[in-house]
Parts: sequence; C-alpha cells; structure tokens
Amino acid sequence: MTIRNAIRDHGQRYRPRMACLKKAEKVLLEMQDPKTGVKSQPQRLVITTIPHAISGEDIIAWLADRFQIDSQEARNLGSMLVALGYIYPLQDHKRLVIKPDASLYRFQTPYFWPTQQWPVEDTDYAIYLAKRNIRKKGILELHEQEQYNRLHKWMNHKWDFIVMQAKEQYRAAKERKKPDRVVFDCQERAYWVVHRPPPGTVSAMDYGLERRIDPNADEVTGESLHMIFTQQSIMRPRVKSSVSIGALVKYCATYNSHDPFLSKCLPSNPWLTDDVTYWTLNMPNVEIPTKMRVERWTFSFRELLSDPRGRDDFRLFLKKEFSGENLAFWEGCEDLKWGTAATMREKAEHIYKTFLARGAPRWINIDGKTMEITVKGLKHPHRYVLEAAQTHIYMLMKKDSFGRYMKSPVFKDTLKKAIAPEEHKFTDAQLEQNAKNRRPSLSPIILRQQELEQKAKMAASAPVDITQVMSKLSKQGKEVAPRPPSKN
Amino acid sequence: MGKEECKTMLDALNKVTACYRHLVIALGSTSDSQNLREELKRTRKKAQELAVANRTKLTSLLKDKTISKEDRAEYERLWVLFSSSMELLEVDMKRSLEIGQDFPLKVPTRHLIQTGMTGSTTTVAARAMSVQNMKYEADSNIDTADLRDLQSEITQVSQMMEEMEMKVQVAPWAVEAKQEAGAELKSNMSVGNSSVGVISICEEEPKEEDGVLNVYIATCE
Repeated sequence: MTIRNAIRDHGQRYRPRMACLKKAEKVLLEMQDPKTGVKSQPQRLVITTIPHAISGEDIIAWLADRFQIDSQEARNLGSMLVALGYIYPLQDHKRLVIKPDASLYRFQTPYFWPTQQWPVEDTDYAIYLAKRNIRKKGILELHEQEQYNRLHKWMNHKWDFIVMQAKEQYRAAKERKKPDRVVFDCQERAYWVVHRPPPGTVSAMDYGLERRIDPNADEVTGESLHMIFTQQSIMRPRVKSSVSIGALVKYCATYNSHDPFLSKCLPSNPWLTDDVTYWTLNMPNVEIPTKMRVERWTFSFRELLSDPRGRDDFRLFLKKEFSGENLAFWEGCEDLKWGTAATMREKAEHIYKTFLARGAPRWINIDGKTMEITVKGLKHPHRYVLEAAQTHIYMLMKKDSFGRYMKSPVFKDTLKKAIAPEEHKFTDAQLEQNAKNRRPSLSPIILRQQELEQKAKMAASAPVDITQVMSKLSKQGKEVAPRPPSKN
Repeated sequence: MGKEECKTMLDALNKVTACYRHLVIALGSTSDSQNLREELKRTRKKAQELAVANRTKLTSLLKDKTISKEDRAEYERLWVLFSSSMELLEVDMKRSLEIGQDFPLKVPTRHLIQTGMTGSTTTVAARAMSVQNMKYEADSNIDTADLRDLQSEITQVSQMMEEMEMKVQVAPWAVEAKQEAGAELKSNMSVGNSSVGVISICEEEPKEEDGVLNVYIATCE
C-alpha cells in the first residue's frame, strides 16, 4: 500500500499493530473457494431468500481440516475470526462467538474488515446512529442512546453534516433491492458491534490505548550515541543468569496464587463478571481486609508498606511499641519526594525539626555519617535530600520491626479477622444483568477529598500520643509539642 | 444569492459522497463487477467536479471581508459541511484503491467474498449521477487501468485539502450546528423501492435538554 493515511492524522495516533489481521484475511480468502472453501447455503427469511449463509459447524469443520487441529481449537480460531469482525452471526448478533451447531453466519464485506491503518471514526459512528434513529423511529437501545447523546455533545460542530449525510445514506441504501438492503443492514450493524461493543459484548478490536509514537518511524542514530551506549553497557553491573532466573522462579511461585490471570480471583474477576465485590472488599481503607491481602503482607516489607491497609496495621503495632517515629519519618520523606516543589523547603525544615535535630520531639536513631550527609544536604534542600536517612530507617524497620510485627498479636488478630469470600457462580442471565447494572465508580476527585477528610479526622481525634500526628499536618500550621526523645 | 447556490451544491456533493460510500462498500464482495468499477469511476469524477466547484465558491465567499457577522458564521458552517464531506470522500477513495488492488476482477484464483449481496448497484450510481439509467461503456481492464487514475486523483484531493486547511482560517469547533438531536427524524423520507407495507406511527422525539416535545408522523414505505 503506497498511500499512507498517517500524513493527515493530526492526532498522531498510531494504533497497535495487529499482525493477525493479514493472516486472518488470507484464511478468509481461502474460505471463499467454491470447491475447497466453506459450504454455503441460502438463508430463508419471510419474504426473501439470501444466499451465502454458512453454518457454525461447517466453519469449524473446515478450519479443523485446513489447519489439522482438533475441534476445540478450531472453535477458538473461529470465535477469533468472529470477534475480529471477519464473519458475523446472523442470529444472536451481540455474542461474537462461533457456535458448533447449525446457527448461521456470513462473511463481512472487505470495506468493513478491521484494518491497521484506517481508524474507526466517531463521525461514522454518529452517522450510523443517526441512520438507526431514522430506521427505529427514535427508539434506540440504551447504550446507543447514551452514545448518541455523547456524540451530539462532543461533535456538535459537525452535527449538521452528520444529519445530512445520514439522511442521504439512508436514501441511497433504499435504491438497492430488498435482499441486498437486508444484507447491508446486517453488515453495518455487525461492524459496529465489533468496534463499539454494547455492554456485555467482548470484541477483539477493543485494544485499549493508542500509541503516541509511530513504531515505523526511523530511530535517531549517531556515532556519539552509540559510544555512550557501549560505555554504559560495560559499566552496568552483571548478575549471573542462574541467580536472576532463580529470583524470577521464586517470584512466580510466590505470587502465582495471587495473580488473577493464573488463578481464581475471589469472589469473581470484575472484568469478566461485571460484579465489583472484589474491588469493594479491597478498598484502601477497608476495615477488614481479605485473607489474600494479608498473606501478601507477609511476602516482603515493601508489600506491607505499599498497601495502605497494611501500613495502617503496622502503624498500630508500632504505636503499641512506642516506636512510631520511624514510620512517621519514612512517610514524611515519601511526602517530600512526591510532593509539590513549592512546599519542599518547609517540609524539609519541619522534618528536620521533628525528627533529626538534637533534642527533637520524635528523634530517630541514624548513624553519624548519614546524619552528617543529611544535615549538610539540608542547607540546600531538594526532593531527594533525605534519601540516605530514609533508606537507613527503612532497613531498620525491615530488619527489626517487621519481624516482630509478624509475630505480634496485632497481626495475628488481623489475620484471624480477615475474610475469605466465596466464589461467585453466575448464570448467563445474571451475567447479562450485571452488565446492564454497570456504573462508573467514584470520581478520583471525590476519593481524594475523602482521603483528606479522613486524614484530618485522624489528626483531630488523635490523643496526646504523638505517634498519631503525621508530618503532613504541618501544612495546617499545627506545631508539634516538644517532647523528650522517645525510647526505641 | 450566493448562499442558496452554495447550499444546493453542498447538497449535491453530500448526495454523491453518500452514494460513493455505498458503492465502495460493495467492492470485493459478490456484488462487485465490471459495472461497479465503472460506476465508482464516474461517481468519483462527479464528486471531484462538485468538490472543486464548491471550494471555489466557498473560498471566494469567505475571502470577502465585507460580509456581515451572521453571514460569515453561516459560511463557516457551510465550510465545515464541505470539509467534512471531503474528509469522508478522501477516506473512501483511499479505501477503494486498497480494496480495488486486493480484488482484481479477472484473476480466476482470486475469489470475491461471498457476502450475500448479489444485486447490482446501478440504481445507487444513477442516483449519484442524477440520471435515469446508467450506460456502461468501459473497457474490460477497467479494474486495473482505473487504479492508476485513482492514485493520481487521491493525491490531487489530498493536496486540495491541505491547501484548504492552510488558506482558509475557519475554526471548525467554533461552528454551532443548526440541527438538534433527533433532527433526522423530522423530515419525510423520500420514496424508495421497498416492498414492506406502509406503517404510520406517532412518535415522541428522544429527550432533549430544553424539554421540547415534538410529535410527528413517520411513514415507512
């Protein structure tokens, strides 16, 4: 293909490569052979007869014969062809699978085949919805109506064109004979089922985000770059493959049962069943965590700290041991690293006053050399000025407190209370119902507000016990009362 | 008045674009034939003539600095209609080149896709060309010979669109549409070749924000 569409693609969108499309096209062409291809039969409708209908079992038999595979794999391959949009079902058009019985399918016309270089345009979808509106006299399906309203809002400047073009296309379609009109309607509807799937339909063209750079563009090369590259690869530290492979194996073995792709996701995978219990049970601030989550905390200290619920538990344990200042310092350093540049200076100062200075209220125990480096760095504070001290404290917590936490009554209690939800067993009807009940989750803005409210509440309701006060509250101007350094 | 002329020409371009799309959809399927290729060629040429005519008219209208603000807004709206039509046309032309190359008509080992469509598209093309009946006079190698013409025409159209974007300062997103949601349901449909019986229904228009309720009759013949 000599003419590329990318020239006027102002959005610079590059769709992910789908090498399977060319292969699928070849298979499809082979299926057309009148002698060696798939047997076709006429489809009898009320008034007309339309040729070239093929049955599911014939397709599967042909694929099994052509590729010398068993019928289950042929069925999967056939379903893939349907999910991509090369073949469409005549009955039950929203389920893009091949049924191994006499249900009928038909080949899609080349214009409506999925392609790499031609993006599926919202303009075309809007025109299609407008035509459907005309045909159905204003009664669209719920998801179609939602899309229609959305497109009407966002493509308003083109709406006159969309209406005009929809009317003209509708009229032009009427010029053809009745059987061809029926076929065209089915084709167009099948195309949009693949590219704008209704809720509950899984289509293979739903590939997610588009790339931002052109994978076919030439890379920038140069001699100096090549030199730098080779120098860096010489300096890079090396690990024996036996060691790294051993680490990979250990990781896989540990996380195998926690991976939703490899083992069951309890109670059910929301992406498959449209039921959000899993997410509700695993919210960051949930009271009672699930057993799987608690098990993950035991894998490593990093896992414990990165889970907000785990960190809460750990904080509770440290409060009982009166050594909360380590965690508070670590959290303060995280806040400094990830916070806004404007507040960095005052944050660094506050942390110094609270944790590092001589006679500080929550003095932390770090070795002399690190303290020297940190104090020197604090003269010109930047985001990573406390990195050395933070690492030291992290290692301290990991080697000492973490082990004790695992044996503590706090952890044992949490583990006992943790819930193990039962697996859901949904029938097809229930799955459809779930798909209809899909609703967007809380907006991140609201979640953030809730987070901040909770932090403020925790700080306000905190007893005089200073381990509850977090360094983030310095922004609200609350000064920490001076206290003697706590025992570690 | 320049506006009425413009609107008629735009309607014509719109009609030809819609018909061209229908013809391209039939490419590569069992509806494909010598005649279809010729229909595509002639519809395309007609579309290009209309495009050039529209462009000259609209650019001259938009270049005029003495027009009023409402007039200018109206011309910008017409410009958006025109450029949207051209975008569709350009994509369809490129696709017809691609599919035309993949499905040559005379190669016996190359089979057309059995889509279930077997009828001819001659009435669609007649609608595009605004004639009663189409007369076919092309050579038998039109499927390959036409492709070279098509390539040069596509480059021409692309160039024209780039020029259009450079020379005419119209912000498409600033244009406000005159039609509301559901406007396509309002006017009567033209008579076509349908054999299904007549149905008269009174329907409410889908919900709009200002809550206006329109009741009308849609007939399907």
